[in-house]
Amino acid sequence: MLAAMKNRKSILELGIHFDHIRQKTWTVLNPMKPADGSIINETDLTGPILFCIALEATLLLAGKVQFGYVYGMSAIGCLVIHALLNLMSSSGVSYGCVASVLGYCLLPMVILSGCAMFFSLQGTFGTVSSLVIIGWCSLSASKIFIAALHMEGQQLLVAYPCALLYGLFALLTIF
Amino acid sequence: MAYHSGYGAHGSKHRARAAPDPPPLFDDTSGGYSSQPGGYPAPGADVAFSVNHLLGDPMANVAMAYGSSIASHGKDLVHKELHRFVSVNKLKYFFAVDTAYVAKKLGLLVFPYTHQNWEVQYSRDVPLPPRQDLNAPDLYIPTMAFITYVLLAGMALGIQKRFSPEVLGLCASTALVWVVMEVLALLLGLYLATVRSDLSTFHLLAYSGYKYVGMILSVLTGLLFGSDGYYVALAWTSSALMYFIVRSFRTAALGPDSMGGPVPRQRLQLYLTLGAAAFQPLIIYWLTFHLVR
Repeated sequence: MLAAMKNRKSILELGIHFDHIRQKTWTVLNPMKPADGSIINETDLTGPILFCIALEATLLLAGKVQFGYVYGMSAIGCLVIHALLNLMSSSGVSYGCVASVLGYCLLPMVILSGCAMFFSLQGTFGTVSSLVIIGWCSLSASKIFIAALHMEGQQLLVAYPCALLYGLFALLTIF
Repeated sequence: MAYHSGYGAHGSKHRARAAPDPPPLFDDTSGGYSSQPGGYPAPGADVAFSVNHLLGDPMANVAMAYGSSIASHGKDLVHKELHRFVSVNKLKYFFAVDTAYVAKKLGLLVFPYTHQNWEVQYSRDVPLPPRQDLNAPDLYIPTMAFITYVLLAGMALGIQKRFSPEVLGLCASTALVWVVMEVLALLLGLYLATVRSDLSTFHLLAYSGYKYVGMILSVLTGLLFGSDGYYVALAWTSSALMYFIVRSFRTAALGPDSMGGPVPRQRLQLYLTLGAAAFQPLIIYWLTFHLVR
């Protein structure tokens, strides 16, 4: 019991706050709720790496061994969106913040690839559900970016490149 | 940056001091070596940098601090080199857009015939950013249109079972090379034809990039409605784009100063505008016909 408490304290010293991770996950899962800009500013890569590994695990269970593509696409996509957000917003963003937000909003994609394990997504239902999931991911990501960077009137403009990136992930899941 | 150098200095200072070490922040539960102080993380340290005090080895601490200072030094070097070639503030002007501007501009690119006033507005000699002036060029639409075109080309090739990553890279680099050549040709033409104009390289890049919107529409129509749909969309978008380019260049390149210019120079400017406009449908056809077979 004491050892468990000591371990929990040591995890907290690492900078991993479980309640923040839970809060951010709920923000992603509920796209209608407005986001709180202050919690976003911590660069927390624990949740995103967890979701990436979950995505790769579900892809593996569906029979696709494509780890390199996931990492490569996320790195390049993060770089492009980081450059774009730096140019579009008045205050800059750090690369870690962009990677963190995009990683959190990958969670609905994990749900999609979990469904791909049970039935094939290449029909009409698969196309419609992947479009819905892509929209969900990109709306959450753009909502968080808008709240954190105080950009007005640009939500759809930020959502579009995120939708392109998540569309690539969906292509990976479907084909 | 100050944080990184402060942390590095702190690490080395820590190594030099023998006696009183700061109390450890956690009980070292791994038996085997005595609890060594790992140094305290500076406030606001993110995860990567606060892991190192678990290592307990001052050598590793110093190495990690040195590595992080090298990384930040490299980042600053990259920024400095980038700032030499590209003025980020001037580039930010082209990305100061909002959703209403993008929607209206896309509508203008598809149907420019009813728009009346094509002049770029100024406030005290500084051009207004695209948020406030529909006629100002922006770089958001061309960049997004280029990326969408490359992805759409990949999808079109995938549908026709001709996809491979090399072909996609070939498509992307061909399009990029044509843009660069067009911008260089326009710069040369402007240099020969006018003394001064308000069209910088980024303006020309923006106007060259608007054709990707037409390309995307043509390819989409071609994929949905077959070859006939492709040619109809090609004709429509080409004529709309030609009209758009001619009207924009006539008010931009032929600025307020050139009304009293010599006639041959005005004729050169007219030929330049017409040449730029006539080039658009050719390049749209060249870059898209192989996607819609």
